[in-house]
Amino acid sequence: MRRETQNVLLVLLGGALCKIAWNGSYLNYVKPSLLPFLVSAGVVILALGLISIVRDVRAIWDHADHGDHPEHAGRSPWLLLLPVLAIFLVAPPALGADAVSRSSTVVPKRSSVDFPPLPAGPAPALRMSDFVTRAVWDDAGTLDGRQVRLLGFVVHGDNGATYLGRLVIACCAADATPLKVRLDGRTGLESLPQDGWLEVRGQLVPGSAKSGAHFTPTFTVSDLQPVPAPREPYEF
Amino acid sequence: MAALPAAPCARTPRARTPPWRRITSLEVLCAVLVLALLAREPLSRMLDVPAVRTGATVFVAVCVQAMPFLVLGVLVSGLIAAFVPPAALNRVLPRTTAAAVPVAGAAGMMLPGCECASVPVSRRLMQQGVPPAAALTFLLAAPAVNPVVLVATAVAFPGQPRMVLARFLGSMATALVMGWLWARFGRSEWIAQRALRRPQRDPSRSAFAVFTDTARHDLVSSGGFLVLGGLTAAVLNVLVPPSWMASLAGQVLLGVLVMALLAVVLALCSEADAFVAASLSAVPLLPRLVFLVVGPAVDVKLVALQTGAFGRGFASRFAPVTFVVAICCAVLTGVLVLGGMR
Repeated sequence: MRRETQNVLLVLLGGALCKIAWNGSYLNYVKPSLLPFLVSAGVVILALGLISIVRDVRAIWDHADHGDHPEHAGRSPWLLLLPVLAIFLVAPPALGADAVSRSSTVVPKRSSVDFPPLPAGPAPALRMSDFVTRAVWDDAGTLDGRQVRLLGFVVHGDNGATYLGRLVIACCAADATPLKVRLDGRTGLESLPQDGWLEVRGQLVPGSAKSGAHFTPTFTVSDLQPVPAPREPYEF
Repeated sequence: MAALPAAPCARTPRARTPPWRRITSLEVLCAVLVLALLAREPLSRMLDVPAVRTGATVFVAVCVQAMPFLVLGVLVSGLIAAFVPPAALNRVLPRTTAAAVPVAGAAGMMLPGCECASVPVSRRLMQQGVPPAAALTFLLAAPAVNPVVLVATAVAFPGQPRMVLARFLGSMATALVMGWLWARFGRSEWIAQRALRRPQRDPSRSAFAVFTDTARHDLVSSGGFLVLGGLTAAVLNVLVPPSWMASLAGQVLLGVLVMALLAVVLALCSEADAFVAASLSAVPLLPRLVFLVVGPAVDVKLVALQTGAFGRGFASRFAPVTFVVAICCAVLTGVLVLGGMR
């Protein structure tokens, strides 16, 4: 591949990284704290490409050489086009129901021995990871009898059950681990659109996550509200 | 490009073609871009299968996540090429290779990146005259024993400081053993010549020009292989059946093997793999340690990067041996530090 083509590719690649950082869609792929690194990488790649282009053009003007740079780094640089095309043309969405049903259920890590009481108020909003961890590990029953609100997307299981799903990432979407809460206590759940985001209100069926049912808590829904997808699709 | 029939007086067909009539990679690139723009709709429809969509997201995520670290690596590599004369490196390193290996391992603690950063840097070190054994030790140590990774491991395994110690010792042992093995048995002809050749330096060029040119060249040549690795990881991520994990509860020996393979296949960043290992709480600790030691040393993304940097002959020998050595070192330190087959 010629040097000029490589430079154009670098400008495209740097531009692609800057674009997803700018419009916020980087949150579909990595965690928010990676933003400064992502912007720096995009700017450096852009700069390396542009500096090289400017230098080549100046060299042609100065007649220092003929502007012919048959630098053969093999064909591998062509692959750099793939993420560029994927970002600019396809812009893959955040992982959703397919990723949740693809991976096996993971038992949440026990985070603390004693869970602090839930926030006050009629129906506090909980993170899915917080809810599932409490449902599995909390022996003091801080969730029992309490109405809470959860945010997640619809996952239809193979067994006909409907779940509220959410993915937790540590670094990027490749390391996502799934969380599931089985929705119950309402008719018409199975007609909800797969991957549609919901805010559900309801309460835990006490003890439902302790048994062998893959540690998936059951949630009695008292109210549900379709909501637009949040800016940050993953929990951390 | 099709070869033109050679005219009697022409030395090469190329010399006869006027420059504006040649099809170069630049024109090919433009054509591909135009085609991709035109085919955007059908392309998006084709990708609208859940499994493909998941794979595409994982692919972009691996690339986006690894790119900053690769950029860090090529910048360090450029700085070394422009500002660190080979003589300075040789003064720092002990004269005998066997003694240089531990120094390189300790130096690995200072590059706070993941595996993508260490490949261009260690190739640059080789070009600057560092013995390959020491550069390879650095390659294996840097992504696994730097402070960022160790802190991430401590955060992922709260209340289990032995896991951090075991990871440090296992990874360091892997790097040192591989360095000494290379010093004893390695042959420099396994490494592609282009990787060892020092780029001739034009004295009229400024240090800044050398820096940007080296960084640019390294980025282009390893970036493609990073993408290849990301692609492989995404495909395998979708294809590996989840039942693999579920069947591992309580099985140590099978667990070690499966977790080692999983580390190769998933190609996670060394700063994130501890969190994944921590979440697999059904699997015993020892296989999870193997996962953490093997991952930064051998994975599909890293093998692709190594193939690009050092050639196929190198990667096909180095990667399998590293895989075995990493498993052995991890099991040994695991038994010693974690206290048995837990």
